[in-house]
Amino acid sequence: MSAIRFVTSEGLPTFLARLSRNSRVLAPVVKDSPKPSVMFEPWRESMPVILKKATVPPKDAVLPQCESLFVYKKSKNADNPENVALHLDDTAHATPTVIFACRPCDARGFAVLDHPFLDGQFVDPYYKARRERLAVITITCSSGCNTCFCHWVGGGPTSPEGSDVLMTEIDDGFVLQSITDVGQKLLDATDLSDGKDAFPKVEAARKAAWTSLVPAPDIKKAPQNIAALFNRESFWQKHASSCLSCGACTYFCPSCYCFNITDEGDGFDKNGGRRLRSWDNCMSSLFTREASGHNPRTMKAIRMRNRISHKFSAYPRNWGNFSCSGCGRCIGNCPVCLDIRDIVQDAVAVADSDV
Amino acid sequence: MPVMEGKELRIVGFLCNWCSYGSADTAGVARAWQPTDLRIIRVPCSGRVDPLFIVKSLLNGADGVLVAGCHPRDCHYSAGNFYARRRLEVLKRFLPVLGINDARFEYTWISASEGQRWQQMVTSFTNRIHALGPAPRFENATPLPKVVGMALPPSSRPLGTGKNAPLDDLKQGIKEKLPDLECVIGWQRGYDGVHTAPLFMKIPEDVEKLVWGPFNVANPAVYLPKFKGKKVGIVVKGCDSRSVVELLQEHLVAREDVTIFALPCQGTLDMSRVKEKLGRYTVVDNVVCDETEVIITVDGKKHRLPMNDFAQVKCRLCTKPMAVFADTPLGESPEVEIATHVPPELALLDAMNLDERMAYWSGQITRCLRCYACRNACPMCVCRDYCVSDSRDPRWMTQEADVTQKLFFQAIHALHLAGRCTGCGECQRACPVGIPILALRQQIARTVEELFDDYRAGFDPAAVPPLLSYEVEEKSIREREWK
Amino acid sequence: MRIGVFICHCGSNIAGTVDCTKVAEIAKKFPDVVYTAEPMYTCAEPGQTAMEDAIHEYRLDGVVVASCSPRMHEATFRRTVERAGLNRYMFEMANIREHVSWIGKEKDANTNKAAELVEIAVAKLRNNRPLTAKTFDVTKKVLIAGGGVAGIQSALDCADGGVPVILVERESTIGGKMAKLDKTFPTVDCSACILGPKMVDVAQHPNITLHAYSEIEDVSGYVGNFSVKIRKLATYVDWEKCTGCGVCSEKCPSKKTPDAFNEFTGTTTAVSISFPQAIPKKAVINARHCRQLTKGKCGVCAKFCPTGAIDYAMQDSIVTEEVGCIIAATGYDLMDWTVYREYGGGAYPDVITSLQYERLLSSSGPTGGHLIRPSDGGEPQNVVFVQCVGSRDKSIGRPQCSAFCCMYTAKQAVLTKEHLPESQSYVFYMDIRAPGKMYDEFTRRAMEEYGVEYIRGRVSAIYPDGLGQYVVMGSDTLLGEPVEIKADLVVLAVGIEAARGTRALAEKLRISYDKSGFFMESHVKLKPVETNTAGVFLAGVCQGAKDIPASVAQGSAAAAKVMALFARDKLENNPQIAFVDLRRCVGCGKCIRCCPFGAIKEKDIRGETKAQVIETVCQGCGLCTSTCPQGAAQLSHATDNQILAEVNALCR
Repeated sequence: MSAIRFVTSEGLPTFLARLSRNSRVLAPVVKDSPKPSVMFEPWRESMPVILKKATVPPKDAVLPQCESLFVYKKSKNADNPENVALHLDDTAHATPTVIFACRPCDARGFAVLDHPFLDGQFVDPYYKARRERLAVITITCSSGCNTCFCHWVGGGPTSPEGSDVLMTEIDDGFVLQSITDVGQKLLDATDLSDGKDAFPKVEAARKAAWTSLVPAPDIKKAPQNIAALFNRESFWQKHASSCLSCGACTYFCPSCYCFNITDEGDGFDKNGGRRLRSWDNCMSSLFTREASGHNPRTMKAIRMRNRISHKFSAYPRNWGNFSCSGCGRCIGNCPVCLDIRDIVQDAVAVADSDV
Repeated sequence: MPVMEGKELRIVGFLCNWCSYGSADTAGVARAWQPTDLRIIRVPCSGRVDPLFIVKSLLNGADGVLVAGCHPRDCHYSAGNFYARRRLEVLKRFLPVLGINDARFEYTWISASEGQRWQQMVTSFTNRIHALGPAPRFENATPLPKVVGMALPPSSRPLGTGKNAPLDDLKQGIKEKLPDLECVIGWQRGYDGVHTAPLFMKIPEDVEKLVWGPFNVANPAVYLPKFKGKKVGIVVKGCDSRSVVELLQEHLVAREDVTIFALPCQGTLDMSRVKEKLGRYTVVDNVVCDETEVIITVDGKKHRLPMNDFAQVKCRLCTKPMAVFADTPLGESPEVEIATHVPPELALLDAMNLDERMAYWSGQITRCLRCYACRNACPMCVCRDYCVSDSRDPRWMTQEADVTQKLFFQAIHALHLAGRCTGCGECQRACPVGIPILALRQQIARTVEELFDDYRAGFDPAAVPPLLSYEVEEKSIREREWK
Repeated sequence: MRIGVFICHCGSNIAGTVDCTKVAEIAKKFPDVVYTAEPMYTCAEPGQTAMEDAIHEYRLDGVVVASCSPRMHEATFRRTVERAGLNRYMFEMANIREHVSWIGKEKDANTNKAAELVEIAVAKLRNNRPLTAKTFDVTKKVLIAGGGVAGIQSALDCADGGVPVILVERESTIGGKMAKLDKTFPTVDCSACILGPKMVDVAQHPNITLHAYSEIEDVSGYVGNFSVKIRKLATYVDWEKCTGCGVCSEKCPSKKTPDAFNEFTGTTTAVSISFPQAIPKKAVINARHCRQLTKGKCGVCAKFCPTGAIDYAMQDSIVTEEVGCIIAATGYDLMDWTVYREYGGGAYPDVITSLQYERLLSSSGPTGGHLIRPSDGGEPQNVVFVQCVGSRDKSIGRPQCSAFCCMYTAKQAVLTKEHLPESQSYVFYMDIRAPGKMYDEFTRRAMEEYGVEYIRGRVSAIYPDGLGQYVVMGSDTLLGEPVEIKADLVVLAVGIEAARGTRALAEKLRISYDKSGFFMESHVKLKPVETNTAGVFLAGVCQGAKDIPASVAQGSAAAAKVMALFARDKLENNPQIAFVDLRRCVGCGKCIRCCPFGAIKEKDIRGETKAQVIETVCQGCGLCTSTCPQGAAQLSHATDNQILAEVNALCR
């Protein structure tokens, strides 16, 4: 039995303050700029409560843009300078974190990341440490939007996947519904009033959200159809010709998880050396450039093939679902308006017509 | 090793091997006592000093940087210091826009025999840095939370939607030339009626997809260099054409290979303001262009967007609505009132003091994800896959996601654009998190204009770029007094 | 790496104010440092031997010496590590003497600074790569620009040494300024008599090819392999046929042609041979005054020329010479003294330059050696010499001394007395500069034996008194009173400047020039003949004011440099030059545009334009490296990563 609680709009700051006592609370913040953006930032009292969809998904909470996997310090013995002592600290640092008011697509991103980082042959200790200390409070969407396509890829405006608590706006406030045990405990620890009575309104709001969506095309065949086009260079060239090879798609994707590892510093100075894991971008030619200088994916068409194939073909074959939650940020952010929906639909259609 | 706490500050000197390093030696031979703060890095020539070494030093904890070379005309390599003078002066005028006090950086000329003068310079520069105190660091700055709204400058001309532009004539012109061309770059409808996407026209049917109007925001010149050596056509707005001119100037495309199609531009929309106005919507029902406004209906709701309120700032300041030159120009260039307005992004910074600027940048740049959309959308970022920002050899930057790395990249971009940036604004438009980085390029462009006879990039393919040339006697660069 | 660090005490020069032991202790903690030592004198033989031993014993593959300036001993220690089997570029120096111990008073601060300088040296060394020089062939031929006495001396010395010489002279004859002089100081022997034989030697020497009436059009290439385009100006006389008989000149109807050789003190004919001893003794038509060439009718010379050498249709021609070295000996010109309005600004016929006076004194001059006033042909009674006209005068931006005016003024005063025993000479001077052998004795003789009156002071004005004489107003600063002298003739010792066209030539040769236009030598004291462009040497006044013996000496010195260079069959380049990472290069050509040496060229590599460094031309300034936005052009031994390592060691 899930916990259902109710909070008024005015009550949200108190709720967030309560959460902040034990955890870092990441909440959307509008960044003042000529072109405003919404970012998740640690919530502090007196900050306005923003419920807008964030420009950048909260992926950073489990997979930071750049993290130290370990810090190494080297020191030398003055009597024998050939002897170098190495001290290595690979403690996985994780702060208990609550993500507040991400969207269902963002939350589904965590579900996508969990498979490779937790469910494979090797468990990533850094990811695991953060993920175990993470609670996700998701606000359901009240409508679709021009770039969103969550319902194409198995999600939806009210999808609970990846969330610990689902929060839905009703006329006089918000109803919070726990989805997982973590969510239940989180809600139990608060003094929010019961919200069961308002639940019919929640269901109505969620239904309304679904009805606002433009019907989704059927892309179930995407995994095999995209695989079938693997060697069709002209197809990928057609769809990549305008691509600028930047990371405005991948770095803003809740489900992209490619990374690069670099060592910084020789370890002799006071800061020590760091082995860094930082996001990598498969659309960049550097993604596959080898130490020799050879690059198996010099053409951006081939890189585009990799991105689409990974999300809609390879990942589903490994884990069952698309590694895309349909948030549409890659479409909205793209400086040249490349639309991943077009590519997937076209792939389904082209490969179908080949048969 | 830490600088001697409280006693010394970190001062880095870049000295040319021939004159200035010699002067420091001469001072030593003469036992000319000096403060001990300065650490000298010996370089072959002041021309070897990439301004980025200085920016890197200052961002990473140097309290002062001193560059010294041979006196003008005495360069061991005849002209290295002439180039250095231009580049270092541009840098000196660039640093303050970042929030770095330009008094922390100085460059000077000194000969090997001037030991005593070297002593005076080291002493006075060190005293100056001590008077300024330890340099504030970006990572310690408190981000400036609130940014004052930017006032829109008056428009240089009436803005419109380009509704009456001779698009059909243009299409006809393209079809005529198409058989000789690999492709013609233009715009087509994007994922909905208020967005356009680049169009690569190869066959006559493609030409029918070509659109013209206020949604044609992207700069198609960014695609030109990869067609190097092939015959290609490009449809341009006035601003785009300046990028083409720069690419011609840098021999990255050949004039005989590129066919330029141009229509006079009446302005394009600031898509971030359009997005704000339309709000979250599911479907675009209708888009109608009136002479001066765009009427967009989304989810059944009608929005009126007058071009005068919703055009990009660069369109308001545009002095060249028609291409600089074109093979197939169509239509008349509108009358433009040439007035110099400081762009609002830059005016905002002009009104701040150094601390506020540092706080501003520290607040803005934090949200950079290093996606490099700014760089990849820049038509003048021609290094492409070999940008120094993500290379290990040379290794200017690390993968760390801190303020200094992110800001340093912006400094790299801005300084590499010195004398080349046409102000097309694609960097800022492409930034998904809306960091107002254009201001840095605008400051560089303003500096280049001030220093080099009102030079503006993108007007003359035969012009000599100011940072790739020099005058023996510079009109606008003054030797600084040492006190 | 295995790095050894040697902290030199330099006796007490360093150890006096730097705790070397502490620096060595700190250095032991730097990455890759496996050995430190504190030699008393690293540069001394035991110090170097100890370094070699340590390299072997500790298997060092890189060495840092913290001692004096690298400008002092970098070359020494590079040889040391090379002897021990290391590449000479696997070595770095930290300057802890000139930049630390000699300039800082506090031992703590000095020690800390010294340790940091060692740290950045280690940081750089860890990024060093072994570099090796490339060898290339040498064209053993020299081109000498300028056939004055310095150029002649260089040409003869080189030619005698077996080196083929290409001598290029802008005028129609060699000889330069010395050929115009009447006598030379301090011996008062005839200038033409001592220069003439040398000029004849040039003409007759089998190793010398003379291009007179020619200019240097373009220079490309590098030391050992220069290619020089020479523009042979149209003389309108076929020199192959001209015998120098002079008939053309005798018959030429255009008699009022200004005579440049005689400094415009007289006139000549439109077709002429500049003076009887000219080498080559060939006629040249002055196109601006030739009636045939200006008006299209005359043709007298062509009619009378016994060998049919006249060719009115002649055009400039270009010849290209391949040479291994170039000597610039382009000499000087007098500055435009007419800026001195107070001296009449050129309006008074009897106020003349010293060089004009030489022509008036010369028996081959326009007056046949009769000393007369240009205005009326009368013999002057009072001759006033004014020194430092355009020398040592900051007010007109010419602070430098012209070096030889004091001496020739004394000589001219002496000659005046010899020509006209009744005359009286006066010399206005600032200081008498007579530092050469027998020079001071000579000026004293002028005063004491020839009664020349020396007045220390500047002349403030010269103006005609309306009665045929000139009033020279000045002050006698020794007596502290104004002086006025009535003069029949005033001779101005006009200051010198680099010959016209020097700057353009400097740019072609890619060498520097100073404010007055004189070429810059490589080192003021120790390399007065070399320039900063390898293979280009200087001789004579083009490098700075000097008199005949000094010019001749420098001419010989330049020849010695050429022959030393040509003593080797192969040359080695300096491996500290730029290289281009072809993968990074996008072919934008920014490096090509700004390379001061033209050392980068475009190259087509598999259909793509790339930049390529011409290894023998590159001088290693690194301008391309700081220009290349993608970091494709890198300067060996000062790469971005090497300098960044130093920056990072200091700022983090």
